[in-house]
Amino acid sequence: MSDLIFELKDVSFSYLGRFLALKDINLNIRKGEKVVIVGANGCGKSTLLHMLDGLIFPERGVVKFLGRQLQQGDFNDDNFSRDFRRKVGLLFQNSEAQLFCPTVEEDIVFGPLQLGLDKELIRQRYLKLVRLLGIEGISQRPIHRLSIGEKRRAALAAVLIIEPEVILLDEPTSGLDPSTSRVVVDIILQANAEGKTVVTATHDMHIIEEIADRVLCLGQEKTLVKEGPVAEIMRDRKFLQDNNLIHAHRHTHGSTVHLHPHSHLEHHS
Amino acid sequence: MRAANFVESFLLEVSFFFKESILSEDYALRPGFLQAIDCRLRVLGILVILLAVLFSRSLYFIFFIYLICLFLTSASKVELGFFLKRSWFFVPLFSFFISLPAIFNIFTPGSPLVGFRVFGFYLAITRQGLKGASFFFFRVLTSVSLCALLMLTTRQNSLLKVLRLFRVPQIFVMILGMCYRYVYLFLELLQNTYLAIKGRVGFICSLDKKQAVVGSIIANLWQRSYHLNEQLYQAMLSRGYRGEPVVWDDFKIRPVDWMWLFFCLVISCSVFYWNAKID
Repeated sequence: MSDLIFELKDVSFSYLGRFLALKDINLNIRKGEKVVIVGANGCGKSTLLHMLDGLIFPERGVVKFLGRQLQQGDFNDDNFSRDFRRKVGLLFQNSEAQLFCPTVEEDIVFGPLQLGLDKELIRQRYLKLVRLLGIEGISQRPIHRLSIGEKRRAALAAVLIIEPEVILLDEPTSGLDPSTSRVVVDIILQANAEGKTVVTATHDMHIIEEIADRVLCLGQEKTLVKEGPVAEIMRDRKFLQDNNLIHAHRHTHGSTVHLHPHSHLEHHS
Repeated sequence: MRAANFVESFLLEVSFFFKESILSEDYALRPGFLQAIDCRLRVLGILVILLAVLFSRSLYFIFFIYLICLFLTSASKVELGFFLKRSWFFVPLFSFFISLPAIFNIFTPGSPLVGFRVFGFYLAITRQGLKGASFFFFRVLTSVSLCALLMLTTRQNSLLKVLRLFRVPQIFVMILGMCYRYVYLFLELLQNTYLAIKGRVGFICSLDKKQAVVGSIIANLWQRSYHLNEQLYQAMLSRGYRGEPVVWDDFKIRPVDWMWLFFCLVISCSVFYWNAKID
């Protein structure tokens, strides 16, 4: 039996039919993989994740989930929609959009309630997750009183409580302090160790080695420009520079100003 | 810091009002008497008392309920000074000035208490007029105080949940909840947008420029809210929303909650005794 979770063939998408967001994307994602999608701002990472989550559909090409083509009409079928949403969870880049309920607790349990999970089971999962993410103390707090890090933890809990087989994460560490960023990375690793497929869109190059088996790189032309093992991609300095994934790091040694590309390549030597 | 001009002070005042009066839940989170009562029965109890106030024909009964309201305020760890200021501020606006003309003989004829002449016209404050106006004033005062106490001691979220008791459609309750959730976000956005404009162009002096700034802020806010609306709907779909939201109902009613409701019913039923005494 095939272990393919997602298959994308010649997928293109544009917003309002005018603003190109993805062009001729071909890729496969297998069960249990840790895949990272990298690329500069505006290259289509979020669009690709939304497509994998069945929120938008290609203008051209085919997206398959577990061998079945995803089409908008399929989501009108309650059984299919519920089954798909139980299997695939997406952490949005903008936590303000993801957390729409009045309190943290209500937001976390929103997903499993809609999916018809047993309330006692939801309660157990909820208690386990808030302890794991260290958000027990803020469960009754309104969302507008949370810090960015707390919002991200709450949003992550809202996705993880569904216990999806595939976790899609859109910029999960952007704007977070190092300790919260560490928590997020640990959660990704733990989920993958439990057999879940994790697809992360990011341009935080320093976490890629930890959270990826394979890297997919989207370019400014909205195409998939490179794909391969993390070490291979990270060693290709020219490619990273060409795609705005490394920058010049300026610092001083005594009185000398030193300038070199900053790419965490030392981890891959 | 004092606001520099009308636009800025307006934005700051609106923002402050919402944050303080709608979004502040400090009192609702205090370990007071009313806060400990199940919010469904809390609302029901206050409603029952409100009905009694409306049906009462005895001013003494209304005074009695007002005293109970003040006692509940104190037992719920709400500072009496703050509470009186909050409830008495609106009462003159809505009832005192409205009921003032009713005390004169032109509107309510009856036995005069004090009479005087204004531009040749004879005006008198009548006993019946004064009684009617007092009724109106104290009825409004007591009702407003009870509602203010309920709002102060109950979290917005719980109040929304209680709407389900009255068979309000779930989708409506959810939209209301989202309004509360996003009002704060948009207020911050509004303030930040204004500060960003001010930071770039300095103090905006002419009326034309002020109008242009307000217009651009409104347009910006509209665009952002529209964009957020799309994202929010996608986030809901992503978590299994199918058009009819299912909600987390974790209310628990204890014996003390039933005692509260019984107390409210007894108080309310006593209105018949007071009314009968008048007859």
